[in-house]
Amino acid sequence: MNVVALFKIVPDDTLIKITGSTLDLNVPAKISTYDKSAIEEAIRIKEKHGGKAIGITAGNTDRKAIREALAMGLDEVIAIDMKEQDIYSTANMIADQLKQLNPDLVIGSEATTDSSGGIFPAYLAGLLGLPLISYVKSITIEGKKIRAERNLISSTEIVEAELPLVISVVGEINTPRIPTVKQILESSKKPVKSVNANVKPLVKLASVSPYVIQRKKIIIDGSKMEEAVDKLLSYLRQEGVIS
Amino acid sequence: MNIVVYSEDPEYIKVASSYFPNEKIVAVSTSDTKYADELHVVDKMDEEAIAKYLASLKPDLLITGSTKRDKVVGAYAAGLLKYPILPDVIEISGNKAKRVVYSGMGIAELEFNTPIVVSISKKNVEAKERQTQKKNVNLEEGKVKKIEVKQKGGEGVDLSSAQIIVSVGRGIGSKENIKFADELARAIGGALGGSRPITADLGWLPEDRQIGLSGLKVKPKVYFALGISGQPQHLAGIKDSKIIVAVNTDKNAPIVENADYIVVGDVIKFCQEMVKKVGKK
Repeated sequence: MNVVALFKIVPDDTLIKITGSTLDLNVPAKISTYDKSAIEEAIRIKEKHGGKAIGITAGNTDRKAIREALAMGLDEVIAIDMKEQDIYSTANMIADQLKQLNPDLVIGSEATTDSSGGIFPAYLAGLLGLPLISYVKSITIEGKKIRAERNLISSTEIVEAELPLVISVVGEINTPRIPTVKQILESSKKPVKSVNANVKPLVKLASVSPYVIQRKKIIIDGSKMEEAVDKLLSYLRQEGVIS
Repeated sequence: MNIVVYSEDPEYIKVASSYFPNEKIVAVSTSDTKYADELHVVDKMDEEAIAKYLASLKPDLLITGSTKRDKVVGAYAAGLLKYPILPDVIEISGNKAKRVVYSGMGIAELEFNTPIVVSISKKNVEAKERQTQKKNVNLEEGKVKKIEVKQKGGEGVDLSSAQIIVSVGRGIGSKENIKFADELARAIGGALGGSRPITADLGWLPEDRQIGLSGLKVKPKVYFALGISGQPQHLAGIKDSKIIVAVNTDKNAPIVENADYIVVGDVIKFCQEMVKKVGKK
């Protein structure tokens, strides 16, 4: 069983700050939160069914983040360096690599923390003409058959399909492991294949500006809760949001 | 221009129609609508099969809604067509679109050309009803077979249209304590929601109550954030609230910077006092 995990290296969203009219993205890079669950699931499948677990990342190819993915247990990472990217160009670059690898299963996550579109695995599946199971919360694989539980907002679906296919996982599928010091040291010996992008994006990013809604930030001391609630209710009545 | 709109939720078809009042709109859906010139009613919710049908219509512009399933269908179709795609667009004018990025902290402006697939966000719009011609479409089965569908118990609360929302985070302390927030929600006629840790991780509330980037985006008149620290992913889901009230013991929590009124104190006491006061009048 050969599994590919897709992951993206993004600016750490907990460190991004808004200063005036700019968004400070010059913060440490990390593997996008739910993408770690995609990596973890690929490693677990490999551990259970044998074969290889390969990672593919596109965009920022920060070596520290790639080493973390390798230390978690991926056998190899393909790093596609892209200065400018959109879903179209990224999916085409990744599809080229996948055609060479011919994996049984491709795992992405529900969304990345930078663009948060939540559509990449579905786009890639369409491009490759492979079936797709999205928002997967648990999977079992027997032979060529995969059974998955999908987590939609108001319902859960259990579905079945045959490999090869693409899945997207939600964060609840697993708890990503934290590599040991030994694994981190050993990760430097694992192969990283660098690829340069040759597909141009079709959507142009013109600008990114801070999305700020000014809030009043009025602090009410709640040590005497009865008074605090009176105060709050009078504010809320003035605002006309509560009667 | 050949415009095709797909959504499982007719509200999105109305929004799409409002963007293009003078163009012909072909809608594809499992639901009914009056906001399209042609409606192709598909007979099953099979994402791959619907995507293949949409691709077969060779649209110049394919617009989908932004439900989890809508986006998957639109993205699969975009991949089949090898078109570019823009998800969760909040505004389109000409060949420019805006969308929220970096966990709700940024707005990106993008430039695009047709053909393209765009998924749009919900908003309140006026659109004129059209003379809708209907036809039924029988889809082929996709390769993913549905074995079982389980509805999650949410008592049919519609958080996305609620005017008052009482929402709980880890700071509520325990599953048992949620009853205090529930009593408050009932007393003020609000709906009860929760953060991702409460719903998805701890399971203290059903997952259909999850508010945030990967759950529901809400826009009430007033949003009570009880014991919610205010991670970027949660803030992204509540940004459009008119007034945000935070109750938290930590006056340095990120939610404080993003709220209108912050009561620094105990969440349970707050709920009890609120219920007393609003119950009295």
